Amino acid sequence: MSRYTNLTAVQTTHGQLHKAPENFLGQAGIKTAFAQPQDQRRAFLRNAFLTAASAASTVALAAGAQAQTVSTDGDPNILNLPDHTKGLGQGVVTDGYGKPSQFEANVQRRASPGLTQTTQSSVSFAPLQSLFGIITPSGLHFERHHQGWWDVDPRGHRLMLNGSDASMLKKPLVFTLDELMRLPSASRFHFIECGANTGMEWGNVAVPTVQYTHGMLSCSEFTGVPLITLLEMAGADLKRGKFVLAEGADGSSMTRTIPMSQIVSGEVLVAYGQNGEMLRPENGYPLRLVVPGIQGVSWVKYLRRIELGDQPYATKDEAAHYIDLMPDGLHRQYTSIQECKSVVTTPSGGQVLQGKGFYSISGLAWSGRGKVKRVDVSVDGGRNWRAARLESPVLDKCLTRFSMDWVWSATSTDQPPIIQSRAIDETGYVQPSSRALREVRGSRSIYHNNAIQSWQVTHSGEVKNVQMA
Amino acid sequence: MSRWLDAFVSLALTFCAGTAMAQQTASIYPGIGRAATLKEVAAWDIDVRPDFKGLPKGAGSVAQGQDIWEAKCAACHGVFGEANNVFNPLIGGTTADDVKTGRVARLKDQAYPQRTTLMKLATLSTLWDYIYRAMPWTQPKSLTPDEVYAVTAFMLNLGSVVPNEFTLSDKNIGDVQARMPNRLGMTPTHALWPGLELGGTPTPDVRTKPCMANCTDESKITSQLPDFARTAHGNLAEQNRLVGPQRGANTASPK
Repeated sequence: MSRYTNLTAVQTTHGQLHKAPENFLGQAGIKTAFAQPQDQRRAFLRNAFLTAASAASTVALAAGAQAQTVSTDGDPNILNLPDHTKGLGQGVVTDGYGKPSQFEANVQRRASPGLTQTTQSSVSFAPLQSLFGIITPSGLHFERHHQGWWDVDPRGHRLMLNGSDASMLKKPLVFTLDELMRLPSASRFHFIECGANTGMEWGNVAVPTVQYTHGMLSCSEFTGVPLITLLEMAGADLKRGKFVLAEGADGSSMTRTIPMSQIVSGEVLVAYGQNGEMLRPENGYPLRLVVPGIQGVSWVKYLRRIELGDQPYATKDEAAHYIDLMPDGLHRQYTSIQECKSVVTTPSGGQVLQGKGFYSISGLAWSGRGKVKRVDVSVDGGRNWRAARLESPVLDKCLTRFSMDWVWSATSTDQPPIIQSRAIDETGYVQPSSRALREVRGSRSIYHNNAIQSWQVTHSGEVKNVQMA
Repeated sequence: MSRWLDAFVSLALTFCAGTAMAQQTASIYPGIGRAATLKEVAAWDIDVRPDFKGLPKGAGSVAQGQDIWEAKCAACHGVFGEANNVFNPLIGGTTADDVKTGRVARLKDQAYPQRTTLMKLATLSTLWDYIYRAMPWTQPKSLTPDEVYAVTAFMLNLGSVVPNEFTLSDKNIGDVQARMPNRLGMTPTHALWPGLELGGTPTPDVRTKPCMANCTDESKITSQLPDFARTAHGNLAEQNRLVGPQRGANTASPK
């Protein structure tokens, strides 16, 4: 018992020695260990103990070394060859659909406690703090369901096109998945962001990490058929038909009015593919609408019907929700575009820097109006800014990864650094400060908060979500 | 002779037109898609627009609506549509004056805590459409049109939009629309719709210039997470990777 306590008090990072900030086998580690089959679990725990034991002995040396120079021979992770270097590994197809390493178990999508009272009309947030590049792994894609999700049998799924009156389409059509997947397809990378992303932060800081402030954001390669192709096949009257109603097949039968101006451009897809495989059930398997640059609620999942009409539809999610309250008491209706926005994901809220020195500040930028042109980063709370590197590819209505070199050297008498990012898109639109945003829209609109995010790096290295004015 | 010729030319023209039409509708993707039957369209085309296009004929009274409400709706939404324990409140916050003006006055009140559905809703079609397609919560699409009229009438009665003895129907729903408390409370004229179909503008409402040095737009911290909220999202150490530039803060133990 006492031996175990001692062992958990230390851990190694970067081959250096630190006091462990938490038990070396945390809750998640213990859960992981016990989820393993017996033999694997034994190996996992044994490895863990070995690592901790060697670390403990080195720390003892290091502690004693204050009087004497360190006489340790080096890093036990190097000196003591681990099992995986000395044994036989596992065979192919141990798992027909591979999963992330057991050591990545902390990287999960999560709900925000207390945000909703049901799990079926709710949201889970993508762990942006742990993601690289621009693509969201499909299993970590954020979720938003309105009446629960389903795993729909694709063999029975149909897509219908009809008109709000008899002359809107020459011929209402029905398609099977087989037929849709025979048509020429397009594959494009696009972000999807919920209109309510960052909505909890309109008035004040409400949540600790970037997962909860910005995690209703994901980005995938989507594959499907341009909706305009299907409308043309049905002989659509594109002069009278200025609006499209998209409808889902689930219990909520989600409906949203889609702008014809976007459909005729060919960028709206009836999609079945996501990141090289079919859509995930939580993301609308087998068919969803992809409406680039437009808030996620319009990307109707389990898509069953497209209606062409001459008026907008004022559906529940464009007449009671997803409407933006302005200070004069008017609601803005049919707010759809996700304006230019960015956020630093590393370092970000709730993280602890592991010591002074070099860091690559990195984050995501996007715009519903096109490509990201520039991202500026500040480390002094917005007083001075420098242009960040944009990493390729920089794509239309897609996440763009940016980064900037930074050396954390603040002493206890310095102001704690405050890290911010500010994106500018190809239309010249500049991501606003929260003050500029609130001056126009107040703080009660819930939706479309694209303000600059601030992360304060405290003297201990812990990063805090702060707002400035 | 000329009559025959006329007939022939006419037939030929019809044939050509028919071929052109067939090519246009059958498109360049033969064998893909088929015509929907009338019954199929009727089975799925259930949407009701703000001009009430798509609304089925029928009627339901406030009293009938109350019975359905108490059996199928009140458990989540409360007896008076006021509950907020499962979903946001539906009814409340509107006044007789709002019914006259068409603007819910409390939406301007920064201190008023809740926004109920009836406070926000401008279009009665939305309410009817949504109840018909998605309610009750666990049995969507189980209500008949008459039942939907009744439930809608009951909700409007809770909000004092219609009297106790009222029967809502496809005949009078347009009159009731003219009494919706927030019927004039929406605007589509903004820059967040991508086209100009709704009378909006391509010019964004918030326009700033990117200052690069010695900027003073925002200079001090005005909000941060209070200490008592430190554990509200669980232990952040378990929400971050075990390796990398940072770890998650251990919020399970005091700072």
